[in-house]
Amino acid sequence: MSVSHARTAVGILFVLALAAWPLVFSSPFDLRIFTLAGVFAVMVIGYQFIFGHVGALALSQATFFGLGAYATAICAVHLGFGFPATLTLSVLVAVSVALFIAIPVLRLGSHYFALATLGISQIVTLVALEWVSLTGGGNGLSGVPLPSIAGLVIPRGWPLMLLVWSFVAAGGFVAWQMMRGLYGKACHVVRDDEVAARSLGIDIHRIRLTMLLLSAAYGGVAGALFAHVNRIASPEALEFKTMVLCLTMAVVGGRTKVAGAIVGALLIVHLPEWFRFLDRSYVMVNAIILIGLLIVAPEGLVGLLDRVLPRAPGEGMGKTLARHRPAMSPPARGALLPSTTPILEVRNLVKRFGGVKAIDDVSFDLHRGTITAVIGPNGSGKTTLVNCITGVEVPDVGAITLGGSAITGGRPHDIARAGIARTFQNLRLVDDMSVLDNVAVARFEAEGAGPLNALKIGREDPRLLRAYAYALHLLHRLGVEEVHRLCGSLPYGVKRRVEIARALALDPQVLLLDEPAAGLNESEQNDLAARLQDLAANGVTLLIIEHNMPFLRTLATYMICLDQGRVIAEGRPREIYENPLVLDAYLGRGAGASSASSPVFAEAGV
Amino acid sequence: MLQLSLNTVSLGSAYALVALGLVLVLNATNAVNFAHGALVMVGSYLAFAIAAVVPAKGIVILPLVLLSAAAFGLVLALIAYFPLRTKPVVAVFIATISAGTIFENLVLLTFGPEPRSTPPILGNRMLDLGNGVAIGEQSVAVICAAFVLIGGQYLLFAHTRFGRRLRAVAQDPDMAAACGINIKVMIAFTFMLAAALAGAAGMFLSATYYTSPTDGANYMMKAYLAVTIGGWGSIPGTVIGAFLVALFEVLIPAIPALIPGLDAVLPTATLFSMTSSTIALFLTFLAVLLLRPQGLFGEAIKKRA
Repeated sequence: MSVSHARTAVGILFVLALAAWPLVFSSPFDLRIFTLAGVFAVMVIGYQFIFGHVGALALSQATFFGLGAYATAICAVHLGFGFPATLTLSVLVAVSVALFIAIPVLRLGSHYFALATLGISQIVTLVALEWVSLTGGGNGLSGVPLPSIAGLVIPRGWPLMLLVWSFVAAGGFVAWQMMRGLYGKACHVVRDDEVAARSLGIDIHRIRLTMLLLSAAYGGVAGALFAHVNRIASPEALEFKTMVLCLTMAVVGGRTKVAGAIVGALLIVHLPEWFRFLDRSYVMVNAIILIGLLIVAPEGLVGLLDRVLPRAPGEGMGKTLARHRPAMSPPARGALLPSTTPILEVRNLVKRFGGVKAIDDVSFDLHRGTITAVIGPNGSGKTTLVNCITGVEVPDVGAITLGGSAITGGRPHDIARAGIARTFQNLRLVDDMSVLDNVAVARFEAEGAGPLNALKIGREDPRLLRAYAYALHLLHRLGVEEVHRLCGSLPYGVKRRVEIARALALDPQVLLLDEPAAGLNESEQNDLAARLQDLAANGVTLLIIEHNMPFLRTLATYMICLDQGRVIAEGRPREIYENPLVLDAYLGRGAGASSASSPVFAEAGV
Repeated sequence: MLQLSLNTVSLGSAYALVALGLVLVLNATNAVNFAHGALVMVGSYLAFAIAAVVPAKGIVILPLVLLSAAAFGLVLALIAYFPLRTKPVVAVFIATISAGTIFENLVLLTFGPEPRSTPPILGNRMLDLGNGVAIGEQSVAVICAAFVLIGGQYLLFAHTRFGRRLRAVAQDPDMAAACGINIKVMIAFTFMLAAALAGAAGMFLSATYYTSPTDGANYMMKAYLAVTIGGWGSIPGTVIGAFLVALFEVLIPAIPALIPGLDAVLPTATLFSMTSSTIALFLTFLAVLLLRPQGLFGEAIKKRA
């Protein structure tokens, strides 16, 4: 039996076990616990959006949950609304609070984000405790009726359990559907490396906002169900303990898989019940078991399955791809002859860090299809220049124009979408994604992948398939063959080429390469140089930041030399090599006269 | 007024001890130790238990509390940190929460749920400064003791070979290991030091405020806030953050007493309660983040590029 069959078998067994559970443990008490597990599963599936898929440690899920519970309780007890109305209101309340939270909080870094969301939760809890007339204060608001749909009351036991678990099924399906295509891959990049995600034209704030709102909506639904199951809304639902419960379920079950949320919820809800016979020490035993689980399966129990039965390489990519492979070749946007109109113009750029001018009045033009190299000693402002052009840093003075339209101070993802792609000096690939996925995700914006159209995916995501076809073509062009391997396991030189392929997948007009030859041996460097020349010949404009003179010697058609943030020389490579100012910058003042024999330039054959 | 500022400084120095322990572990391990609040609580129960056996003043008991709390720190590191050192940071997060739960229940099973109080460091008299001004002996003692402990920690880190190694581990564990420092021992010691500081704080705090087994979460929150306000990794920033947290806690409930006649205008009982001081603290914190997303004092731990 192949691994893929084994995985299918485990999946079927899981669903069967789930269905059999309430049949075996069918006492009213067991059913109630199982129903509660379903409620928490909905909450955790929601929490996986923000915590799992985009990796933001939000500590506000209990707040959305509690708000949902209170909204249902208040509307049902005070106003006598039916289940459809209270459910809708619960979701609305949770989502609007999430929107409100998002304004100050979403752009914060990880731990500030965690504490800010926790702070908001504390405030909401305290307000619920103090506002006795509305919430019943510390005692909570009791007397929540059983859910009634169109006058039909859903009784306890099996019917209520089925109602809750149908929400688990529906919620799980929506979450799985949304995340299995190109959109899910983009979320993975956002989780792993925000800088890389931005450089691929992915609007990370928008994705994080969407994920937070989804989390809140699921939290609201779970809270509404919780109020009906428990017949009460109490401050405990809002408290940090509930948040810890939710977080624990997500971590123990698995952070990104729906099955993980269900396993986590079932286990964490039942553990205390299984150890109830230990009387007073059961809480401790519970905690000890949790730590044990974390040691055994830090990536979650469902993640453990991936370790035991790893997914076959390329599985889930679809056979469609193989059929489409030869036909699909991306049209080159810049497939024009070199022209004299500059494609990228940089004018009087200044960037200060405190008192230091990292970039001091730099101006230059890039012409279509040319290869321009920016050289200069360490600390001369090369990487800052790339960061300013790509929007990672905002220049203090100056203008950058791409194909006639100003992009100065634009956000990184907007600049990437406008047609400037980049690679990074220290590779920024997602190590636990396959080569193909890494490159395909750059098609996110071009394919218009989003959460709503992800819901309409049929058997396979057509956007993802097109992105794969595009990526395969580029990888082939750059000579990367093992496209199903995880990026983390690749040799360094191959990673460099994968990153270039990823940048090219944006179909850029200008490609900025930050030290592409670093860490490559001589034959890899020659190979890369040939491939870059091929790209330029196809109309992509290249700007290369590099130290390595031998690598640039045959490659660059134009050179700009920076020193202490200023352009000290520019021109054809030969002119640059002979320029005394350049020699000074590299070899120290006064060395210019005799430096033709210096190692740097001797190597370059000047 | 004098007593009020003294209370603030006294509470602030106790919080500073708590927050300092949190930030030391944070720097050494890059993980938030969520059992730290429970260690504070454990510290006050240790002091209570030791005081029952050794009927002496707090100052005599303090070294014993420091040592026994450090032992708990070691236990914590062994069960919740070392097995998960190479695992994702959230795993440590959950493990320390679980360890905190274990400590909480251990105390609950041993001592029951009633709040306990510990002996004051020197005494609980009011020191008369003349002119009708009096200050609490305990407040002054707490400030002095915290000052000595924080100073001792500073001297250890800044001026000893051992402290330099600890700092090396905090700055770059891989490099420290490459230089032949046994980072496991260093991290274990950091946990012990942090627990000792937390234990001392627990003893100081519960002399005035009483402590019950479930109080850990509350201390945890305060320390977490102090560390975040202070710039996530900066030691001086953390101390300042702790004083700010204490300031809110003491000052806001005291506003009605400070401004006579306010009772007539506003419902002071609800407006200036402990609850509202907590809300005000968090709102201020959020406002600060809105204006300065990098924290009040900037970030001490920069993401390595």
